[in-house]
Amino acid sequence: MEVIGIVLLGLPMTLLVTAASFAFGAIGGIPLMLGLRSRHRVVRLAVRLVVDVIRGVPTIVWLFLLYFGFAIGVFRFSSLGAAIVGLGVISSAYLAEMYRGGFATLPKGQLEAAQALGLGRRTTFVRVLAPQALRTALPSAATYLMALIKDSSIASTVGVIEMVAAATAYSRQNPGTAGLTPFLAAAAVYVVISVPLAIATRRLDARLSRSHA
Amino acid sequence: MNLADYLPQLGQGLLVSLQLTVISVVAGYAIGLAFALGVASRNPWLRWPALVLVEVGRSIPALVVLYIVYYGLPSVGILLDSFPAAAAGLTFTVAAYSSEMFRAGIRSVPKGQTEAALALGLSRRSVFGRVVLPQGLRSAIPPLMGLAIQSFQGTSLAYSISVNELMSQAYQISAVTFQYLQVYAITGLIYVIIAVPSTWASVYVEHRLARGQA
Amino acid sequence: MNQNLITESNEIAHAGVVIEHLSKSFGSNRVLDDISIIVKPGSVTALIGPSGSGKSTLLRCINLLETPDAGTVTVGSQVVTAGRRIPERELLALRRQVGMVFQSFNLFPHFSVLRNVAFPQERILGRSRAEAEERALTLLERVGLKDKAHHHPAQCSGGQQQRIAIVRALALSPRVMLFDEPTSALDPEVGVEVLAVMRELADAGMTMIVVTHEMQFAREVSDHLVVMADGHIVEEGDPAGIMADPQEERTRRFLNAVLER
Repeated sequence: MEVIGIVLLGLPMTLLVTAASFAFGAIGGIPLMLGLRSRHRVVRLAVRLVVDVIRGVPTIVWLFLLYFGFAIGVFRFSSLGAAIVGLGVISSAYLAEMYRGGFATLPKGQLEAAQALGLGRRTTFVRVLAPQALRTALPSAATYLMALIKDSSIASTVGVIEMVAAATAYSRQNPGTAGLTPFLAAAAVYVVISVPLAIATRRLDARLSRSHA
Repeated sequence: MNLADYLPQLGQGLLVSLQLTVISVVAGYAIGLAFALGVASRNPWLRWPALVLVEVGRSIPALVVLYIVYYGLPSVGILLDSFPAAAAGLTFTVAAYSSEMFRAGIRSVPKGQTEAALALGLSRRSVFGRVVLPQGLRSAIPPLMGLAIQSFQGTSLAYSISVNELMSQAYQISAVTFQYLQVYAITGLIYVIIAVPSTWASVYVEHRLARGQA
Repeated sequence: MNQNLITESNEIAHAGVVIEHLSKSFGSNRVLDDISIIVKPGSVTALIGPSGSGKSTLLRCINLLETPDAGTVTVGSQVVTAGRRIPERELLALRRQVGMVFQSFNLFPHFSVLRNVAFPQERILGRSRAEAEERALTLLERVGLKDKAHHHPAQCSGGQQQRIAIVRALALSPRVMLFDEPTSALDPEVGVEVLAVMRELADAGMTMIVVTHEMQFAREVSDHLVVMADGHIVEEGDPAGIMADPQEERTRRFLNAVLER
């Protein structure tokens, strides 16, 4: 079945886009989260608006905006660049929310205990609050990663040759005979990737809730 | 800005997007609830097909589903136009995701509710239909609202199978005017104007609902 | 556990606490109304009263977990006046003199028991890891929990966690210890373990201010009883005396309700 082979040719690119934009988002989410938790109301509201607007624009529109519309001097995004930056910015917004959620569900007593002990602000944040918040946010982040793998397919619309693009190309080159096969093959690969990840996430979830009782 | 001349065209695209949204949400939630009940059923003939459909629907990117319905199905004799194909594909995806939300909502109803109802002497069917399900649906409302907003944004993918929704119109206009940045920015803004206040409203509804539970 | 829980107590001058005209409101709710109390160094003060009387808020104003609207808090020689914004340095200096034990223990769940007690010492007192851990183990042994050192809080019972919390605060050699309903979240049988540790501390001469519902502890261990209701001090003085024969009607009502339980 050469179809699977063709589709799998796109897999490395799928994984690259996913990993790169997730990394972008994991880091980019931090300043956004700090903004969302800022002591100054104006900053909080401004960052809130930014995050909501980023999430409000559909992914494909973001990618087209960056790929076709973004030009500084002679710099233009390549397909891959637009995909990674676009998905990365969107991921930043979503992960920032998850980070914030992790902090929001922290028991107030943790902050108070750290304050009562006299641990400084930075130490409290970095050594007491953040580790617990991240642990709470981890399952949501894992779920998001799974969604991101699927969203990487949208990169095909701006010319990134990942799995869906490979399947579409095959379908176009074999108009009569291809039929369902290339797309089912691509779908199968997505399923094969997702299911173990889902199980791992569920196990991670159980592990984390147990150790925290 | 002669781009203003194109606003009606974008408006028409928006209308199509909204139509797709309504269809996929209404049909999708109905089917999703059926899936959820199927997954929870003790009858294996109902449970396994439902489980497979839900897992597959949640694992496959929406874009791939659209391609399968539009480009792939003709090979087995099912020929659909762009709009029906998009409606079918999006409905399937929404059904799969919403079924998980229904399931979670139903599961979140405290066991004590079932026990109290049974102790009163209500039949299992009544207990589920009149006590558990209504509360479960109520719990599921916030995530379902979020899903509805996401499916509105998801209609933008229908561009790839030639549906004349908002994203398609944007593409056509930008190809003609070459003002890519402005056109896509305005398009993004249109999505935002609908999606963001809706999200704020759904958060408000979520808070109001939670207050009733406390 | 006959030896002193804190041998250093003889070396550190335990501080007194003076509260003058303290007031605090949450919105329209006046939780503390012009409260003044003197806590002598080395004494044990018990704060009792019905829920909502402001006793916890008062306690939390001492280490500034709550900021009073008006009045002064003096711990040892450090004076903090309400109204102005307190610089971080002052805040930390105050909190490092005062130890606090919470109703919900608030141990750090992602640290081992040993780390919970050692980490603040490293950060605040600048001790080396080895020094901090040694001191931690010594203190844990004194409360009989040395074998739990490498466990995590989640693996310890409530009573154990609270004793660890006390040790965590003590490891920093505070001059005053605050207890906010330390046994309220524990079964009575388990609470006894914690109260025993608190008695030892009292015997060793630590200045203690305890918000509690444990009337027996208040009567037997504290030197000074303060009865609060509706943000005011209703009555204060000798614990045994007040409990046997309360002067104020409000005190009488509260004690009757509590002791009848």
